[in-house]
Amino acid sequence: MIAKKVLLVGNFGVGKTSLIRRFVLNEFSEDYISTIGVRVSKKVVSYQNETIKLMIWDVAGTNGDEKIPKAYFLGAHAAMFVFDLSREETYLTIDKNLKMVRDLSGLKDITIVGNKKDLLSATEIDNVIQKVSVDIDLITSAKEGDYVEDAFMKLTAQALK
Amino acid sequence: MKKTPVDSTKDNRFELLRELLLAEDRDKFEALSKEVILREKLKNNVSPLVDEKILDLREKFPEYFGDTITQTIKVQIRDSQDEVVEALYPIMGKLVKKAIVSEITKLTESVNKTVKEKFSIQEILKRFIRGKKNDADIVLQEVFEPIIEEVFVIEKDSGLLSGSYSRGNIADKDMVSGMLTAIKSFAEDAFSKEGQDLEDIKFETFQLSIQNFKSIYIAIACSGVLNASFKEELSDRIHNLAEIILRDRSFLSEEERLNTLIVKELIEA
Ligand SMILES: Nc1nc2c(ncn2[C@@H]2O[C@H](COP(=O)(O)OP(=O)(O)OP(=O)(O)O)[C@@H](O)[C@H]2O)c(=O)[nH]1
Ligand SMILES: [Mg+2]
Repeated sequence: MIAKKVLLVGNFGVGKTSLIRRFVLNEFSEDYISTIGVRVSKKVVSYQNETIKLMIWDVAGTNGDEKIPKAYFLGAHAAMFVFDLSREETYLTIDKNLKMVRDLSGLKDITIVGNKKDLLSATEIDNVIQKVSVDIDLITSAKEGDYVEDAFMKLTAQALK
Repeated sequence: MKKTPVDSTKDNRFELLRELLLAEDRDKFEALSKEVILREKLKNNVSPLVDEKILDLREKFPEYFGDTITQTIKVQIRDSQDEVVEALYPIMGKLVKKAIVSEITKLTESVNKTVKEKFSIQEILKRFIRGKKNDADIVLQEVFEPIIEEVFVIEKDSGLLSGSYSRGNIADKDMVSGMLTAIKSFAEDAFSKEGQDLEDIKFETFQLSIQNFKSIYIAIACSGVLNASFKEELSDRIHNLAEIILRDRSFLSEEERLNTLIVKELIEA
């Protein structure tokens, strides 16, 4: 079976862990995330007649200064950048943040996900889309389970490229 | 050796990490204790009592048996053999394995330092085990024998598992590989000087050794008392294995084939 390492990154509290919780059953305690800054989960998915083992690295969001070992980003086959549609500070510096992820991981394409769509009206969401300087791949709600699967499928497709 | 200044937040995080790692160990320990209790057909309601005993034993092992063991080693055991065996007998097997192994390891280390050549650990063990063939003997044998429990061949950067060997049934090898890689990165990042790799993580029940190679690392978990000759031989075999893999990298993408190779080079060899 093909195995791929994929990353979930993004600011503190945007919902990375919640998205993963929706998508997989976990064996390791979430306490690892606050302790060492990452927790690895696994999910076997099917994509275009192929079975792929996704090893999902949930990297703790930081407010800037705390350091996460750079090694967490190495050898990744795809990355998802998650931001919180309801909190401007999680997408205002998206260019800079994406550059950092690209530099550390060596990846070109990153899947962009706006989460917590349940907190906004359709018009408000449109406004956010206007404000975000890059193309958003998916608008999700980890709370209601909307488009979570799709987001991970998009990530899988990236990993296989 | 130069000492790196200790950062208190890092230190604290390391403490937390240790607790997390041991918590899982404790769970395993509890599971084991249940299993053994069943096997030994103890009455259901003694289980909490036994657990308490185990904890007590774990904490006070040196106090209870340390003297006896040190003594026995010093006087070349002979006479107190039965006492030790008797004392260990009621709590049997894997339950005490952990405590005994760590104590014996400590003791052998210190004894070996002072009495260097006079007693080899093998000699001591031979004396311990020689004689009667009863359950206690088997327990003791099981306690001391160094055994390779798990082998993981892991891609360094991605943490993806390329191949493995397992004596028992480990939770999920892919996740263990990923988390191990993460913990390794974390520890290397936080505590080591540049370019220095993490090599040994000591858990309570077993010892994990890590050997780094260019694009892969090999992690091996062993239980029992790891004497120098066992370690040396193992290290040689690991290097042989790594050499074969790195010369023919197709092994890294063919899990079954690599698994067979691991068994051939490390377990059967
Ligand atoms: N309403 C709503 N709340 C959400 C959603 N996703 C996550 N949350 C909440 O947002 C908070 C943070 O979620 P986490 O999943 O812990 O966020 P994270 O990105 O993993 O955060 P860090 O690990 O600190 O970087 C929690 O209280 C979640 O319940 C969502 O889709 N809708
Ligand atoms: Mg999280």
